[in-house]
Amino acid sequence: MKILVCIKQVPDMESRFKVDSAGTWYDTTELVWRMNEYDEYGVEQAVQLKEQTGGDLTVLCIGPDRVKETMKKALAMGCDRGAHVNDPDYATRDPFEIGAIIAEYASDKGFDVIFTGMQSQDRGSAQVGVLVSELLGIPAVTTIVDFVLEGSTVNVKRELEGGIKAKVSVTLPALFTCQLGLNTPRYPTLPNIMKAKKKELLSIPVQDLLKVAFRLETVSMQLPEKKGGGLVLEGDAGELADKLITILKEKTGVLAK
Amino acid sequence: MNFDLTEEQKLIKDMVREFAENEIAPSASERDEEERFDRGLMFDKLGELGLTGIVFPEEYGGAGADYISYAIAVEELSRVCASTGVTLSAHLSLGSNPIYLFGTETQKQKFLTPMAKGEKMGAFGLTEPAAGSDAGGTKTTARREGDSWILNGTKIFITNAGEAEIYVVMARTDKDAQKHHGISAFIVEKGTPGFSFGKKEKKMGIRSSPTMELVFENCQIPADNMLGKEGEGFKVAMKTLDGGRIGIAAQALGIAQGALEAAVNYAKERKQFDNPIASFQGIMFQLADMACMVESARLLVYQAAYKASNGQSYTQASAMAKLVASETAMKVSTQAVQVLGGYGYTREFPVERMMRDAKITEIYEGTSEIQRLVIGTNLTR
Ligand SMILES: Cc1cc2nc3c(=O)[nH]c(=O)nc-3n(C[C@H](O)[C@H](O)[C@H](O)COP(=O)(O)OP(=O)(O)OC[C@H]3O[C@@H](n4cnc5c(N)ncnc54)[C@H](O)[C@@H]3O)c2cc1C
Repeated sequence: MKILVCIKQVPDMESRFKVDSAGTWYDTTELVWRMNEYDEYGVEQAVQLKEQTGGDLTVLCIGPDRVKETMKKALAMGCDRGAHVNDPDYATRDPFEIGAIIAEYASDKGFDVIFTGMQSQDRGSAQVGVLVSELLGIPAVTTIVDFVLEGSTVNVKRELEGGIKAKVSVTLPALFTCQLGLNTPRYPTLPNIMKAKKKELLSIPVQDLLKVAFRLETVSMQLPEKKGGGLVLEGDAGELADKLITILKEKTGVLAK
Repeated sequence: MNFDLTEEQKLIKDMVREFAENEIAPSASERDEEERFDRGLMFDKLGELGLTGIVFPEEYGGAGADYISYAIAVEELSRVCASTGVTLSAHLSLGSNPIYLFGTETQKQKFLTPMAKGEKMGAFGLTEPAAGSDAGGTKTTARREGDSWILNGTKIFITNAGEAEIYVVMARTDKDAQKHHGISAFIVEKGTPGFSFGKKEKKMGIRSSPTMELVFENCQIPADNMLGKEGEGFKVAMKTLDGGRIGIAAQALGIAQGALEAAVNYAKERKQFDNPIASFQGIMFQLADMACMVESARLLVYQAAYKASNGQSYTQASAMAKLVASETAMKVSTQAVQVLGGYGYTREFPVERMMRDAKITEIYEGTSEIQRLVIGTNLTR
């Protein structure tokens, strides 16, 4: 079984963001970087699948040299080798370019299973996974929260709106985009962290893989206007409860409508 | 000269921080309140992550990492729970390291390997009622009888006692030899007849870490359990404490870091006179001083750890790191309580616990006075 997991390095979401001087992305200086949360579920699932099947697992990441640090974490979690697509301009590429780079890399490798995150925490387009599958001509199953391999079939659960889940079966090869709730990513253990440094981490210049032109362009980026504070409810206990229930029903998914 | 952590050190820091925040922190205040040690959480899980043998070679079940990684691990654990930090430090530096440094191959296979893997926990028995700072005053005796040694005496204030399976214990083997020369080190296993535990201390801080007496009453152990040569126990103890001080310095650093962060976060949120208190220079300057102290301590701790990993002499460096880091922990945590005002004095916030926890770092593994004695003696000899 050949497995590929695609990860992105994103800033810690607790960071204080500033728009950059070009006005089209956030300023990347003085940020702390980590693995995109949804990709951690992807890596965990990929490692579990590798352990189940004795398969071979590659982790791919596009970005400048600093993304190797995040790739090391994936290697320490159990990936066998890394493919680093060296691209200092990764952040300004549109999802089509990113998808095309990954598809180009994967095209001659015969991966049975490809995992990506459902979306990235910074751009949040949720397009890369499906674009890769389309370009490779394999099915994609998105926002999975459960993954079970039986023979050459994978049974998954997908998360739909309002907490409803759908069961889907798909024959491999296929691509899966991973959602919160799929699994609990493991901590990389000390021995595995030490082993990670001996694993192969291949660097590929982006020019070797980028053969398409972008289709979307970010025109400008702004921070949201500061909103007013919280909502203070007034009235007696009964009224308060009614108002709160109404808000929970209308504005959140906590209560069924 | 390079001040950056290596890739592995960064990964270790991130991993331990995530683990500490997700798993250790949530119960820290409750365990403190209940004076409860949680073996599964505070030791077994560290073993699963490979932290219990972090600096030992793979052939003995360790991870083969360096002392800076070890210091980072203890620091990150102590940032949220100083009791968990000292559990690891006492197990690794005090219980396991003397076996690594002075043990025979058989002793390393038999004792160190399961300790490094986190299957067995270690502790170290040096202190006695009449032998504290003056460790040469050891009164516990070991008498040779055929193929055995017979131990008699009491050790007090022993971290991890009761829980640990393996104890490195100092006892006098020669009554007539000069003070320091008549002492030998032994490995004693929990469950050995004649070895029991006395009272559990009720403490000011690190209340989730058990501290107990070890009682030896005609406790018979195999002659093979002598650690190092007969009469060299004092040397074993001093070498062990050199390394241990890095662990305690890292524990102190973690406490200080935790207190600093708590103070900064609070000062940015808390408003008085219509402004966040962090905007008052009286508070902001305190925070600045605290941050400088923490960073200075960190440099000393990592420097001592660096020397320990690179085959350099580190007695002086580890004494300095331990002295500065522990006094930093005390000052910074006390100031953190001040920054939080009345709230800081309550047990709703973690800074009062950090302040209580910080105090012990100025006392155990050599008091601040003893560190000054070590440093000063080295300077002036
Ligand atoms: C929570 C806790 C955990 C501990 N864990 C362990 C453990 O795991 N294993 C272990 O063996 N021990 C352990 N200890 C013991 C600890 O290391 C000793 O308490 C410490 O070394 C001080 O000894 P003492 O308490 O007898 O104080 P004393 O030695 O009696 O010191 C009293 C005071 O006199 C000062 N003083 C002593 N001699 C001098 C001098 N020459 N010059 C100037 N000042 C001096 C000291 O600095 C101190 O201020 C622990 C203690 C505690 C409280």
